[in-house]
Amino acid sequence: MVNMFFPQLRNELWKLFGKKRTYIGFLMFLLAQNVIVVLFRFTNGPRVSMQRTLEGNGYLAEQFISGLTVATFMLFPIAYILMPLYVSLVGGDLVAKEAEDGTLRMILARPISRLRLLLVKWLAGVIFSALLVLALGLFGLLFASVWFPWGGLFVFVPGELFGVFDALSGCRQYALAHWVMVTKASTVMGLAFMFSCFNVKPAAATILALSFVFVNFIMQNIPYFRELQHWFLTYHLNVWQSMFAQPVPWWKLGQSLSILLGFNLTFLVVGATVFQMRDIKS
Amino acid sequence: MIRLRNVSKRFGSRLAVEDLTLHVPAGEIYGLLGHNGAGKSTAIGIMLGQVWPTAGEVLVCGHDVTARRQQALEKVGAIFETPVFYDYLSGWRNLEILSHYSAPTPAQRIREVIDWVGLTGRELSKVQTYSHGMRARLALAQALLPQPELLILDEPGNGLDPEGIHEMRQTIGRLHRELGLTILLSSHLLNEVEQICTRIAVMNQGKKVFDGALGEVKKDRAWVRLRVGDFSRAVQALRQEKIITDERDGQWVALAQNVGTDQLVRRLVEQGMAVYEVAHEEQTLENFYLSLMKNDGPSRLW
Repeated sequence: MVNMFFPQLRNELWKLFGKKRTYIGFLMFLLAQNVIVVLFRFTNGPRVSMQRTLEGNGYLAEQFISGLTVATFMLFPIAYILMPLYVSLVGGDLVAKEAEDGTLRMILARPISRLRLLLVKWLAGVIFSALLVLALGLFGLLFASVWFPWGGLFVFVPGELFGVFDALSGCRQYALAHWVMVTKASTVMGLAFMFSCFNVKPAAATILALSFVFVNFIMQNIPYFRELQHWFLTYHLNVWQSMFAQPVPWWKLGQSLSILLGFNLTFLVVGATVFQMRDIKS
Repeated sequence: MIRLRNVSKRFGSRLAVEDLTLHVPAGEIYGLLGHNGAGKSTAIGIMLGQVWPTAGEVLVCGHDVTARRQQALEKVGAIFETPVFYDYLSGWRNLEILSHYSAPTPAQRIREVIDWVGLTGRELSKVQTYSHGMRARLALAQALLPQPELLILDEPGNGLDPEGIHEMRQTIGRLHRELGLTILLSSHLLNEVEQICTRIAVMNQGKKVFDGALGEVKKDRAWVRLRVGDFSRAVQALRQEKIITDERDGQWVALAQNVGTDQLVRRLVEQGMAVYEVAHEEQTLENFYLSLMKNDGPSRLW
């Protein structure tokens, strides 16, 4: 049965990428990035503020207001809001939609174990998450480079982050941040996937996952809980942005990635246990 | 081929299947009858390892489904009431996907089943363009892919027009004749079951109320329509002589074992009663089923 794993994974990918709704995330990224980049180019607000911050810190603004900087500037709102939405949309569909449509009953009339079925589905979800992050990074850089010149990278999050890199190391940090962001995307997908294993509608699985993420995010940002922020999932989910810090806090990064690995395993084990115990009925 | 021993399934406070014992022998076309909600689909779900029984033992192809589901289902094909597929993919792709949940399946095998069910030429079209009948054929194709020995059909006639039902009946016959499959068919379409099946089990409110060969049903104690001058007097006399065992509707009597209508008529004439008509009622599955449902159990009849 080991030799069937890859054909089964390929099947899941066929099913996933055969559906139009799988591409909503990619499409919305394209749209959002184009809107942001055009606004950034043709309005003064964010550009002037960035210019002031750079010059106030002794840097030449024109060297750093580049395609790379704008691509990273766009990354934050999209990674915080849009990406969890689209990965949880797909994660919530993976099991619950098949149960709702009735195809799950047809699959489970065959000699495949429930655990194996879940594993190939989860892996397909991880592959989707990685591709979505890859698209986010590539599209962003591409569109930003159409309107802005090649140059260094400047990242500034008030009170949290201030990073200035030359073009080459900026590119490297940008790529590494996306690499780490795959863990965020797959964790949120895994959370929705876990809910999808319960006897719920696909939309309910998506909403539950998003609620969990947003409630975490809100609580993490309440000043009262500031001291406890590392107890919240979103604190670790957004560790990708530490790739833009100078120096990169590798210890914190390793810690957060380990915690995310633990979350992923927990989601998978809870989902698999619930799915194993469930009755699959029409 | 399938053996259920004292299987029960409880959903919360509702007992969907109660102490069900069933044996589907190899080579039979076995009908599982019952009204909606009688527990047929739950019983099939239990046989396929989709629904966990609360109690009892389930063996399919000699393997315990709860403990060795993969081995039990290796040679099993199943079709459910409404054929659902990945509509946005082609028929061929659907078969490829579903076949890989069983075992490696060469393209040649997929071509063979497509040909067998008569979908050649449409296999590369998206399933969303298929008619209901074509979907039913595709459902059959996916069930045949693993070269099954046992085919489980859960309400296969649902939603089919008369032509579709006729085609389904012919196909089930072909599957049994040409491929030698054992078939378990759940349905509430009595006419279909009567024409197709060799054995039946009847379920009512989660319990099995009858299990036996269809021939037995037809050989059931004969009901005879009896038109005489005084029906009550005739019944009283015939009961005393143990010629009949039951009566109904003021004109029907059930003959006792090994009693013929000649004896019945002779006795009535000897008693001086005028006999106007004596006619055997043909026992249909429908009559039989309705009497089972009316009596809520086989005890009175069997």
